[in-house]
Amino acid sequence: MSDRRDDEALLGALGRAVSRHDPVPESVVAAARGGFGMVSFEAELATLVYDSYLGDEDTRALVRARGGGRELTFEAPSLTVEVEVLTAERRLLGQLVPPGPGVVEIRSPEGSVTVEADHLGRFSARDVPAGPVSLRCRGQGGPPADTEWVIL
Amino acid sequence: MTDLDVRGAVAGAAAGDADAWNALVDRYAGLVWAVARGEGLSGADAADVSQTTWLRLAEHLGRIRAPERVGSWLATTARHECWRVAKTARLVSSVEPEQLASGEAPAADAQVLEAEELQALWQALGSLPPPCRVLLRVLVADPPPTYAEVSEMLGMPIGSIGPRRARCLDRLRELVALFTSADGQPAPSGSRP
Repeated sequence: MSDRRDDEALLGALGRAVSRHDPVPESVVAAARGGFGMVSFEAELATLVYDSYLGDEDTRALVRARGGGRELTFEAPSLTVEVEVLTAERRLLGQLVPPGPGVVEIRSPEGSVTVEADHLGRFSARDVPAGPVSLRCRGQGGPPADTEWVIL
Repeated sequence: MTDLDVRGAVAGAAAGDADAWNALVDRYAGLVWAVARGEGLSGADAADVSQTTWLRLAEHLGRIRAPERVGSWLATTARHECWRVAKTARLVSSVEPEQLASGEAPAADAQVLEAEELQALWQALGSLPPPCRVLLRVLVADPPPTYAEVSEMLGMPIGSIGPRRARCLDRLRELVALFTSADGQPAPSGSRP
């Protein structure tokens, strides 16, 4: 057993080692500050209720066998959004439920792209950015819904 | 920041006060980074996890049930995102997880001894098993979390943090001794004789 004073000294040295070799990058702090401006206080929050990448090993093997599309489902009080992400191709296919025309803004910290959902609520996008992404969905009537941020 | 200050900062940020938000970032950015790197993510993945964690907080500001515990909420959210990123990486490719960056070469000055000690400690930290690595990284985050926050984010009783900390530091000493005997570097201060 080491005594407690030794532990404090070692922990202190470890703190110096970490701040020397792995300080929080300035860009990471700046991104955290910038997060405040990305949020709408008017939109409903569509929470992530399903992510095929988080299933058990069998589910993930099935996902792989089917070509690797990642399936995500987000639910807001008045809207559900189902999304399939083709990660390697950076493509995204989506469905608004209830089905109907709408507008979907694919938001990332670098900027956003807006696509339209057709009369059946289907939408698609290319060149989906890697990193945090949130979809702001406007269906027929009702408030817009923002999906929780996920890393795509 | 006391519990009261943290509650006030969460309430302020939820009401649209950017200064209150920045106070939360100043208090917890180091903790979130420590969690992501402690979980073994590369710098790029840790940056994504950090940003996502803060965006999650921003969208949940008005819905946080226990604002005084926002520190452990952030750390827990970051851990879940780390696990998701790790699973995603394994699914997309079978590349081995990146090793923790080893940092720059030691400075060539009077503090070279201290620099070598810190280098050895840094290497040893990267070789610890994940539970110890996460615990120690979180404990030395700048500014450090409270034991109540550590207890909640890592799901361990407050009374067990001290003993676990002691065991993890012992393992760290063993690894430092192993590395320094292998390449002739001096042992760091605080190690057993």
